[in-house]
Amino acid sequence: MDPRQQPLLRQRLGVLKVLAWSLVALLVLVYAWLQLVRHGEYRQLALQQAVKVRPIPAPRGLVLDRNGHRLVDNRRALHLVIQREDLPTRPEVVTALAEALLVDPQALARKIQSYRLAGKGRPLVLKENLDEAGIAVAERVRARFPFLSVEVAPRRVYLGDDLAGHVLGYVGEVDEELMKGKPGVFHLGETIGKEGYEASGNDKLKGVDGQKRILVDQLGTEVANFGQIDAASGRSLFLTLDAGLQKVAQDALGAEAGAVVVLDLRDGGVLALYSSPSYDPNLFLNRLSQDMVDRYLANKVTRPMVNRATQGIYAPGSTFKLLVALAALEKGIISPTTPIYCSGRKNFYGRDFRCDKPTGHGSLSMVQAIAQSCDVYFYELASRMDVDDIHATAEKYGLTERTGIDLPQEKRTRIPSRAWKKKAVPRDPKWYAGETISVGIGQGAVGVTPLGLARFYALLATKGKLLTPHLFYGFREDQSDHMEPAAFVPPKDTPLDPKHWAILDEGLYEVVRGGTAAASALKELTMVGKTGTAQVATFVDRAHYARQAKALKDHALFAGYAPRENPQIAFAVVVENAGFGASSAAPIAKKLVQYWFLDRLQHPLPAPRGKLVDPFAPQQTEAAE
Amino acid sequence: MRERFRALDPHLLWAVLALIALGTLTLFSAGRNTPQATIWLKQTLWNGLGMVLMLLLATTDPRRLFRYSFPAYLLGLAALAAVLVVGRKIGGSTRWFMIAGQTFQPSELMKWITLLYVAQRLGSRPADEVGRLELFGAVGLVVFPMLLIQRQPDLGMALSFLPILLLIPLMKGLRARWLLALALLVIVGGFGAWKFGLKPYQKQRVMIFLDPSSDLQGKGYQVNQSRIAIGAGGLVGKGFTSGSQTQLNFLPVKTTDFAFSVWAEERGFLGVLLALGLFGLLLSRILDAARVAHTYAEAYFCAGAAGIFALHLLVNVGMVAGALPNKGMVLPFFSAGGSSTLSFFLALGLIMGILHRARLK
Repeated sequence: MDPRQQPLLRQRLGVLKVLAWSLVALLVLVYAWLQLVRHGEYRQLALQQAVKVRPIPAPRGLVLDRNGHRLVDNRRALHLVIQREDLPTRPEVVTALAEALLVDPQALARKIQSYRLAGKGRPLVLKENLDEAGIAVAERVRARFPFLSVEVAPRRVYLGDDLAGHVLGYVGEVDEELMKGKPGVFHLGETIGKEGYEASGNDKLKGVDGQKRILVDQLGTEVANFGQIDAASGRSLFLTLDAGLQKVAQDALGAEAGAVVVLDLRDGGVLALYSSPSYDPNLFLNRLSQDMVDRYLANKVTRPMVNRATQGIYAPGSTFKLLVALAALEKGIISPTTPIYCSGRKNFYGRDFRCDKPTGHGSLSMVQAIAQSCDVYFYELASRMDVDDIHATAEKYGLTERTGIDLPQEKRTRIPSRAWKKKAVPRDPKWYAGETISVGIGQGAVGVTPLGLARFYALLATKGKLLTPHLFYGFREDQSDHMEPAAFVPPKDTPLDPKHWAILDEGLYEVVRGGTAAASALKELTMVGKTGTAQVATFVDRAHYARQAKALKDHALFAGYAPRENPQIAFAVVVENAGFGASSAAPIAKKLVQYWFLDRLQHPLPAPRGKLVDPFAPQQTEAAE
Repeated sequence: MRERFRALDPHLLWAVLALIALGTLTLFSAGRNTPQATIWLKQTLWNGLGMVLMLLLATTDPRRLFRYSFPAYLLGLAALAAVLVVGRKIGGSTRWFMIAGQTFQPSELMKWITLLYVAQRLGSRPADEVGRLELFGAVGLVVFPMLLIQRQPDLGMALSFLPILLLIPLMKGLRARWLLALALLVIVGGFGAWKFGLKPYQKQRVMIFLDPSSDLQGKGYQVNQSRIAIGAGGLVGKGFTSGSQTQLNFLPVKTTDFAFSVWAEERGFLGVLLALGLFGLLLSRILDAARVAHTYAEAYFCAGAAGIFALHLLVNVGMVAGALPNKGMVLPFFSAGGSSTLSFFLALGLIMGILHRARLK
């Protein structure tokens, strides 16, 4: 009964002992294989996942107005991202992530694929500019998808909200079409200016991303920093804009659609450039909701994204008469003192052309015709010229070219000519003399941008200097408000005859002294300008207005300069569908002049203050927009 | 009292104390800067309690324990049935009772009770007098709790009962037709289990074991990270509390299933040699106990215990190195856990008791 007397059992237990030690030896071999033979490989893998090279996003330069007021600032923001080396590979993970974030799975998968192919660089941003609720959501999603991380990067804040939306534009992630169009210029995930000066000044504003080598834990949280190359932030820029004047323009236009441009006659700097309806660039920093697309991008009714000042083509109406007069004088077809009789209408080529005043203006000299804005006088001038004569004059004084302002996608002013019609209307390429008559009063095929119009009046103000309007004023070299001025394009001289100029100047003076804009005269200084009323191209959907049973009214224009004796600014104002130019556009010009020359010196308007609040600044309580 | 301490077998005791020391260091390092920072302390309490139990059992006559093995077996089965009904569900399986804020896993203890009972039944007569029917009965005694445990489900635990069946070749020797029968059983059983018995996640684990790179971000992630930790440890290791895989949380469940990876990363191949050597001594000493045991039942118990310890060692240490499927089986003295720790100490106490009695005679 004693097992110790059982030789077989003892023997088998001996075998078991050998087996036990063999097991230990086998495990030792496995570990020797991993820890001795393949040590280098695994050490590399451990290093790779713990030590990461992460880009440090460079803040873009600030944008300030000419007085150093901030128009665009940077704030710290949190973004939900996937670092390049953490991009998920499995399709079901991508699908689940897309569902959790409520985005299109296929679009996300495509994006992940392109980021993977692009190699190192900025992380893939899934949700930008997280607010407190967004952070809570991000943390919840991150618990399920540990490869996500939250990145701190500067975000843009547009302090005036919609004060200068079209001028400033906004930034966004570079899109892939643009990258394909210009290979090697942009990096995937880079933030670039999309519209306005953010786009045209992108190279000046953008900084150089830095880089850091960090130790991360399994969640991607930075545990230690092994050293970094700091990001070089972009240079801050001054714009020629005056925030106060811009505000006056905004308030003066109010809810009306239209545009205001004010130019500095010394260098062509843009003092104000406002397009109404404007937009708040802050709204465009996050991925656009459908509501945003409907309200802004796809809004065909009011088209808020169009910069009416540089992209809106309006019939200049009577404001164009100055150019027609100039063409007639230069052609020598009329003496300025030769009177022309207006009976309220005149027949050309078998068709009746009416004057604004049905009872007629009687006999008028050129100055009087400008002051009273007599249509018959200018029909007559046009009838004695060819359309190509008017076009040649416009070309000579820069009205047929783009102004060259440093904003993207400026539209070219359209002054018709025989050659133009051949190209633009191939079905009916012949120019009819009757068409020239309409051109004489700035109607028909004539179309100018408010900026182009302002530039023409700046030419009149400076006795023939052709300015290049620009927004770039200078660099800020340090944190102070000291500016290093930028070189601007010097004005071009044009062969404007001083005698001709004197007549036009006199005419413009009479408009405000006792002509169509007499109500907008200022006591303290002499503003001169020309009213215009035009009914042509519009940005408002006519069908929409028809549905609303509203009569579609004419556009009102006013362009001019001030003060007459020593001109410093030139301006153009367009108010869409506002009716008579003298009653709606000229008062806006008066407000601009009033502010610039009188109020500003005593009570400049305060710096723009945005509604947006940094959600991470503890002292602020106001909720983020 | 001094007499009582003399009952402790010095070889076993030193091996166990050394392994506990390594395990405590491992848990200290693994818990650092995590919510489980004090897990080493908690485990030390379990170890202390376990050693008191070990001392008590070592001074108890093993025959008295064998006498209670049948009611204990029945109680164990009842507990396994009960846990399926009233047990606490954690992570998809129902394995635990909640007692005074502590989880208790009855299957841990049941493993040893089953071994005790089977050893007692088979050891009541010399091996050549045990009939085939009795052998089949013993197989049934082992398989029945296994099936209950697989209901939880807990395949790792169920498989850890298998070494008890080692007793049969120990008694009857290894015959060619048995091996054939075993091979047949494995094939049929494996196929049957794959078809009907295994849960989807268990099937997935097998698939991932066959091709670990198929799922680096999912289930294969754990083993992959563990291999990186072990491999990165090299010859001498990254140093205590300095393993990047451990400290930066790349290593998963590092206080239980993957505790040995922590040790391997931070102490390197030399540390692994030390730990495996200690386990070798432990197994060796337990088999010695089988050799000097006074009764068949005692010898069988010791042999079966060596088998169970060896299986835990093989599966856990092999699994964390990626050499075996990712099977949740704890490593004695390294993995944190109350039920398993106490059960291991109970078994060691019994073995020491057997050794003690053998020495007295």
